[in-house]
Amino acid sequence: MMDINALAKKNKFRFLDYAVFGVIMLIVFVLCVAIGSVRVSFFDTVKVIWSAIWNIPLPEELVNTSSIIVSVRLPRVICVALVGASLSICGGSMQGLLRNPLADGSTLGVSTGASLGAVISIAFGITLPNFPLSGTMVMAMLFAFLSILFIISLANKIDGSLSTNTIILIGVIYSMFATSIISLITVMASDKVKQITFWTMGSLQGSTYTNVVILSVVLLICGAVLLSLSEELNAFAIGEENARHIGVDVKKVRLIVLILVSVLIGVCVSIGGSIAFVGLVTPHIVRMIVGPNYKKLLPASIICGATFLMLADLIARIILNPAELPIGVVTSFVGAIVFVIIFYRTRKGK
Amino acid sequence: MKNLKKLFLVAMAVLMLGITSCTAATTVTSTVTNTQTVTETKTVTVDPSVTVTDMTGRTITLDQPATRVVALTAADCEILYAIGAGDTLVGRGEYCDYPVDVMSVASVQSGYETNIEQILALKPQVLLMGTMAQTEDQVKQLEAAGVHVVVSDAQDIAGTYQAIEMIGKLMGKEDNAANLIKSMKATFDKVSAKDTGKSIYFEVSPLQWGLWSAGKGTFMDEIANLCGLKNIFGDIDGWAAVSEEQVIERNPDYIVTITMYYGEGPTPEEEIISRAGWSNITAVKNNAILNLPNNELSRPGPRLADGALALYDFVNK
Repeated sequence: MMDINALAKKNKFRFLDYAVFGVIMLIVFVLCVAIGSVRVSFFDTVKVIWSAIWNIPLPEELVNTSSIIVSVRLPRVICVALVGASLSICGGSMQGLLRNPLADGSTLGVSTGASLGAVISIAFGITLPNFPLSGTMVMAMLFAFLSILFIISLANKIDGSLSTNTIILIGVIYSMFATSIISLITVMASDKVKQITFWTMGSLQGSTYTNVVILSVVLLICGAVLLSLSEELNAFAIGEENARHIGVDVKKVRLIVLILVSVLIGVCVSIGGSIAFVGLVTPHIVRMIVGPNYKKLLPASIICGATFLMLADLIARIILNPAELPIGVVTSFVGAIVFVIIFYRTRKGK
Repeated sequence: MKNLKKLFLVAMAVLMLGITSCTAATTVTSTVTNTQTVTETKTVTVDPSVTVTDMTGRTITLDQPATRVVALTAADCEILYAIGAGDTLVGRGEYCDYPVDVMSVASVQSGYETNIEQILALKPQVLLMGTMAQTEDQVKQLEAAGVHVVVSDAQDIAGTYQAIEMIGKLMGKEDNAANLIKSMKATFDKVSAKDTGKSIYFEVSPLQWGLWSAGKGTFMDEIANLCGLKNIFGDIDGWAAVSEEQVIERNPDYIVTITMYYGEGPTPEEEIISRAGWSNITAVKNNAILNLPNNELSRPGPRLADGALALYDFVNK
């Protein structure tokens, strides 16, 4: 039994925890920028980045290196980190909101819904004028939100609770349904088969600083709001009834969280394709380290999600050099193993 | 029967020498220059049956050249049209799209979704199919229903000749097939060059969806080598997702993209030029980017020669 003091201490903001997480993330970040398909010395890496920041002209032999590091590798690593952070905070928030440890963009069919939206926009050429990728992005967000709304209201209708397996079951079935529609569209729009097929495979290759800006802004806004709702998520995690009793506007909070999650997942899917397992696994791993308090869980999920996905992407980039592995292969493979190990250990300890 | 086989072997030998031939000719051995006349008399005097060995080594014998054919692969459809046997096609695989005429032929599912019932409903004598995603069971089912299955499986240009020759024989169009091969060979001879010291990068999927390129064992690689160009991803087997960093590092002199342009936004060439970090690639600097979106360089059919010629003209312009 833990005494009250220890419990209070455990729930308190502990600077050291974040410092450790933060330092690990930074080390991984530097590692990911320094290591890649093309070998560049650490000194040169620093030099080209430094020159790019201060606009210092480079000697001829470093021009190509600069392209590789500054234009290709750096934006990709940052995008990967931001996507990992976004997906993890989404997973964490949904797990709290629905009081369901299996909730995540991929298990609830939100990612597939977003993919469906994106595929529809590719197949029917839906674009907003002057913004080449915007049609895909807006459609992905819209479909992510509609999917989540549909799944949750259906689950609510069926057994009035969101914490049971019903919602996961509906999510999985919805996922299959959306996948079948994607296949159907692929067959019908045969002239765009190639585009759609490659799109559904998803790739963070070709990430640009524009993507970095979009992801940063979206994560900053949505993340800040989600973090500010961590008290409410704590209340939800105990139970919706409990949340209502302590004065949480249940409907409003739920709607806000769902909208934010849809926006985040929609943007991530339209930039990097659907990446499985990150959102599901990271919050669990984090929970095992920092405990279930959402005040700590959400910020820690952001940092760990970024770290995890950067490492996964590093493996994807270098293991088959000069070929690449889809990042989803790495996240699912590593994520599943790590998850089982941690799950087994904690359950066995009980 | 034994005699026929012997004749067949002789005919094969003649074909391999690159000379027009015919198969059931009774006097092929006597004189090569006589083949033309022999062909004409053949139909009245000689047993019209044809025997071919397909590209998995199976032997198929037909009482007469095929008149009802279903072809599952796009390349085989192209070959049929190119040798003037397009009118025998009663069914095509869903992805066959060249020449335009083929689009009006009934479409059947192919690959993993091969639908035996659809094929049987078209009552073909012969089904031409590839090896990719097709199974032994499908072959057995079709053979049991009385359809002759002929497998074409060209992995390189030599294999493509073999497929054309095989299909030509099957359709009783040996002369046309031989002429087609001859003209393809002429084109490939024309484009053949010693090592130019230049390198080329084939972009199969654009950056937006993740880069894919063609490595060793693909037609693109073979044709690049033929033109004296070095494929920058010749160290990879087959098709693969490749690293963007490596494209910049390996700095190709030419880029060939097969991305289709749908008439909106930047063209595939413009899109490549606009990529961040690509501006120092020689091909981008010199605007040496070619778009070949119609499968000229990926299908083991007659248009491989067109693709090679397009590449040759592009490199030597």
